[in-house]
Amino acid sequence: MKFAGSAIAILKKDILLELRGKESLSLMLFLSLLLLVIFNFALDTGKENVSSLASGILWVVFTFSGILGMGRTSMAERDEDAYLSILFSPASAESFYIGKVLSNLLFLVIMEIFTLLFFAILYDFEKIISMLPQLLPGLLLGTLGFSLVGTLFSFLTTASRYGEVLLPFLYLPVVVPIILGGVSSMDIILNGKAGGAGKWIQIMAVFDVLYFAVSLLLFRYIIEE
Amino acid sequence: MNIIKLRGVRKQYHAKTALSGIDMYVRRGECITLFGPNGAGKTTLLKIISGIMSPTEGKVLYNDKPYSESDIKKDAFYLGHRTSLYNALTVMENMDFIRRLFSLDHRREVEDILRGHGLWERRNDPVNELSQGMKRRLALAKGFIMNPAIFILDEPFTGLDHRWRSAIVAKINDIRRQGKSVLISTHLVEEGYRLADRVAFLHRGRFLFIKDRDEVDPGEIYGLFDSMGEAAR
Repeated sequence: MKFAGSAIAILKKDILLELRGKESLSLMLFLSLLLLVIFNFALDTGKENVSSLASGILWVVFTFSGILGMGRTSMAERDEDAYLSILFSPASAESFYIGKVLSNLLFLVIMEIFTLLFFAILYDFEKIISMLPQLLPGLLLGTLGFSLVGTLFSFLTTASRYGEVLLPFLYLPVVVPIILGGVSSMDIILNGKAGGAGKWIQIMAVFDVLYFAVSLLLFRYIIEE
Repeated sequence: MNIIKLRGVRKQYHAKTALSGIDMYVRRGECITLFGPNGAGKTTLLKIISGIMSPTEGKVLYNDKPYSESDIKKDAFYLGHRTSLYNALTVMENMDFIRRLFSLDHRREVEDILRGHGLWERRNDPVNELSQGMKRRLALAKGFIMNPAIFILDEPFTGLDHRWRSAIVAKINDIRRQGKSVLISTHLVEEGYRLADRVAFLHRGRFLFIKDRDEVDPGEIYGLFDSMGEAAR
């Protein structure tokens, strides 16, 4: 109970911080909007192409907006060494990690909802909204994977002066399986390609379990050193 | 009874030796003030004692147990150069967050602590609107919710004027009256000496002395700072 209580306290604190500071979610939303507009100009996104381009565009937006947001939520802990309040409390490193994963997950999900809606409007592709129930498992597993790895790596890199530069270099190679799974499963579902989406979703689920186990073990060492 | 014991502690940062041959103990309920010029190793020592940093060599015992078998972080309050506060949150939100982490239900207790620190009137103000002195007091006030066995305070008077320094001294005296151990590092001879049961002087990672306060004259500490080309305050 204490474990869950601490994780929820951290989640609530991050929501409050976001409401007060508007440093994470607002930046993510702005970047996702910006990227969607750029892609809209840069690519031929006519009615016949948009379906095949959608998964690629959306996962690029999710990935880069996500990196930005997760970096900011970790910076909020490093500013003024605020995370020491958690370290010197009965909250375990594991509940600290879960709390941060939950807050990152929440902000990522909000950013993705916004991105999907804006994509549907800007690219005149309402189909993506009507197909949301089929897309949901892949989206949720992908977002969870991002949050599990991103929380760990953003804490690791914010300890460095070059943290925000380092984060994508460390994070992206590790989440390649999630990005591949997300893009492929969404592409298969949107374009009605035969089978295969389930296989990618299974792969994403396996990687999520792996990320969770490894990150949970490593997080204690990262915040203590 | 010793709450902390250090044996042969050494800390190496690449080629630089920050601490070497450190042996010391902290008794339950006593206050030790660490003096020393900049770069003497005071912060490194306090970080090692609080468990934030590991020594390169040597043993740190907490209640006679090595760190691996105890968990000093759950029983210590560390206040470093930074305040460990969330600047965007209000005074009350910062305190409430700590209260939740400690699973305390009593908001009344938080109110009493804030009143005791003269912060109740500012409870709805964001931390980034407080003066430096108020931030330091709020940071210290968190320790009263945590109710730890030992307070580890690294330069708690930094950047404060005389009025705020006196207020912090009064709060540290409150802590001592509750039977808690206190470890302070400071350049301020007057305040540090007044609070201490024992005083220590650290220079180039080694203790020049660690003695009962009565065995050391404040003039001796001023003299050491002078001889090292650093003005004590």
